[in-house]
Amino acid sequence: MIAVLGTVAVIGGATYAYMEYNRGTAGADAMQPVATVTAEDLLASYAADEAAADQRFVGEADQAIEVTGTIRAMEPVGSDKTNVILETGDPMAGVVCEFSNTDLPIDWRSGASVRVKGICTGLLMDVVLVRCVASE
Amino acid sequence: MSAAHWNNNETTDNMNTFKIAILAAFLLPVAVSAQDRFGTRNGHIAFFSETPMENIEGNNHKVSSVWDATSGALQFAVLIKAFEFEKALMQEHFNENYMESNTFPKAEFKGKMTGVTAEQLKKPGTYDVLVEGDLTIHGVTKPVKTKGTLTVEANGTIKASSDFMVRPEDHGIKIPGMVRKNIAEQIAVRVRMDYTRM
Repeated sequence: MIAVLGTVAVIGGATYAYMEYNRGTAGADAMQPVATVTAEDLLASYAADEAAADQRFVGEADQAIEVTGTIRAMEPVGSDKTNVILETGDPMAGVVCEFSNTDLPIDWRSGASVRVKGICTGLLMDVVLVRCVASE
Repeated sequence: MSAAHWNNNETTDNMNTFKIAILAAFLLPVAVSAQDRFGTRNGHIAFFSETPMENIEGNNHKVSSVWDATSGALQFAVLIKAFEFEKALMQEHFNENYMESNTFPKAEFKGKMTGVTAEQLKKPGTYDVLVEGDLTIHGVTKPVKTKGTLTVEANGTIKASSDFMVRPEDHGIKIPGMVRKNIAEQIAVRVRMDYTRM
């Protein structure tokens, strides 16, 4: 009996370890957003205090945020990704949301009001979100 | 991708030009001729760690960079958390254990790219260049000197590429002994930039 339980435990542990090792990177679609914010307010938060904004929107581990706004522009990135740039009211900076083309709604275009869920990585010139999906 | 997505190409191009101009003012605040300044905010930096135990690759397609062809001044900035990995564990260990990206959220390069003149950039061609400057990773700045290639396309786009090696220990990145064999002592870095004239 002990031998059987031991074998089951070993197999279970090995299976867990194998699955954990091979676990893929989660996209924003699998996450509950920790904050919902307009593109204008997101940029304003970074302009006011970048470290505090990182703490809130980037967090310690990967987390999704939801951003609402109007599409300022869309631009291809390589062959399989697209940047959706949200208007911020500040011509010097935007909120850049990187989509896999497979996740990009086909009817999105400049001027459309959209709701994006993505993983915030911080501020360079723009606030950058990756692994984005359209939020329901 | 539907063709409908790109019916605003002119608007997008204008926006790109504008954004890069702003980026240049941010990253490269020196008085130079705007005609000889090039930039991108969608540059690609990848790194590779190859060992018998496992191979690890990280990719970042959100690199901001500005190059002034007259002075040679070159700058990069990259968000560490924008590196993406095939496996979640690799990404978690990269951010939490090694790069400590909550403490050091960005990496930067400031230096020069020389070997090609502004005049040469007016016609298509491929040139060998030298990149030299200071690379800051994990809060530690080290000098870097490497060769690269710069190609001027017929449409005026400039493709710059360079490959070099980085030792994690040089930037104060500690690799625990338990996983030392899983991570290469020298990490191969690949830089690919598609610059547009500003």
